[in-house]
Amino acid sequence: MQTTNTSVLTRRVRISDEYATLPYEAGWAIEGVFFIQAEGEHPDLTITAEVSPDGINWRMRAQATLAAAESLVDLPIDRFGNWLRLRVTGATPEATARVLVHLNLKG
Amino acid sequence: MQKFLSYERGLGRFKPLANVICYDDFDNGFNGWLDLTPNYVEENYESFDSVVDLSSWAPNQLSSASMRFASSHGSMDGTYSLKVSTAPTGGPHTEPPRDGSMGHAIKRLSRYGNPKLIQIEAWYSYTPVQDREGKGEEDIRAIGFFFDVQDSEYRYMPGVRYVNSLGGKLVKKWQYYQVAEGVTPEDWNFGVKDGWCVPGVDNQWYGRRFEDGSADGYQWVPGGEQDLVYNESPDKINWMYFRLTVDIEKREYVELQSGDHVMDMRGIKPTLTEGYASIDNLINPIFFIETDSERSVNLYLDSVVYSTE
Repeated sequence: MQTTNTSVLTRRVRISDEYATLPYEAGWAIEGVFFIQAEGEHPDLTITAEVSPDGINWRMRAQATLAAAESLVDLPIDRFGNWLRLRVTGATPEATARVLVHLNLKG
Repeated sequence: MQKFLSYERGLGRFKPLANVICYDDFDNGFNGWLDLTPNYVEENYESFDSVVDLSSWAPNQLSSASMRFASSHGSMDGTYSLKVSTAPTGGPHTEPPRDGSMGHAIKRLSRYGNPKLIQIEAWYSYTPVQDREGKGEEDIRAIGFFFDVQDSEYRYMPGVRYVNSLGGKLVKKWQYYQVAEGVTPEDWNFGVKDGWCVPGVDNQWYGRRFEDGSADGYQWVPGGEQDLVYNESPDKINWMYFRLTVDIEKREYVELQSGDHVMDMRGIKPTLTEGYASIDNLINPIFFIETDSERSVNLYLDSVVYSTE
């Protein structure tokens, strides 16, 4: 039987600028799915999954959009090595967002 | 039924009491240790009013202790440890903890077997993220552990905290959870009237903190000076032993052991508070770490044993 775990990487944080989750070690897992929810009004948000050799230097791996009319989007990822994080862009001081980020892992 | 027990080899480096309730090796997963969060029970799933943002703590991870230059450390016995992290958001040590500046791991248990003694043991290590030059030891403010206990009369939190560094200056002394005389609920909640937490509950966040490291919720352990192992670089960790034993019949501390240093704490009591509704017989063990600067720091737990007698 595989192991699965869901972590909440960002818990209802109000963002008004570019935002990234903290570095997260997930080397035990084979695959993962980020889920990004926005509570209330928000602009179109670009969601980028990033990978890293060391949790310090980052490179883009996959991307999705959470449109203003939507409240939830998912972004699957695999062969990511050990380190993961999620970058969210599109929020501004004039158009903020309140975001909740889950990362489900399985392996 | 007559039981014949054969303990796993990994238990050989622990000194458990008669009944091992949990032996958690994080090579086998999270083992029920999870992030510490407040109660989302108000309108729109909001939590209660607090000066400290209890939603902000970093997520726990299963870590291979992967370092920037040194490769993966793995764990003491295997590949994975439980990593308790902070955000790079440390503020002055005389202020309430800033958003994300602490990390916690909690396991939610209950009283079983009518024990007199409860005990937590762990093999652990800590280090900051190597995201800047230098040694980095001064960036780790503290590591700590406490039990959240409620019996038929009282809720109380026996716990300890190793104060490693304050304002960038090494301190290296142990403290224990006990509220100083005369502390009011308003002091405790940093000015919030009718705050949810009463003095003696959640000392790790609440209670005023002072320049010399003393605090409303912490007292210095007698003989609690200790130089823990911090290797010469942020990418090198060494595994260390920790044990705290508590007498829940007398509601007092028994012993703190760190490495081979045993601190006798008999006769010292945590602060008793009136029981909260519907959590009689609760026993929650909780580990935490605090950053002292704008740098993330990590606590690695190789394995944890909770035992009773």
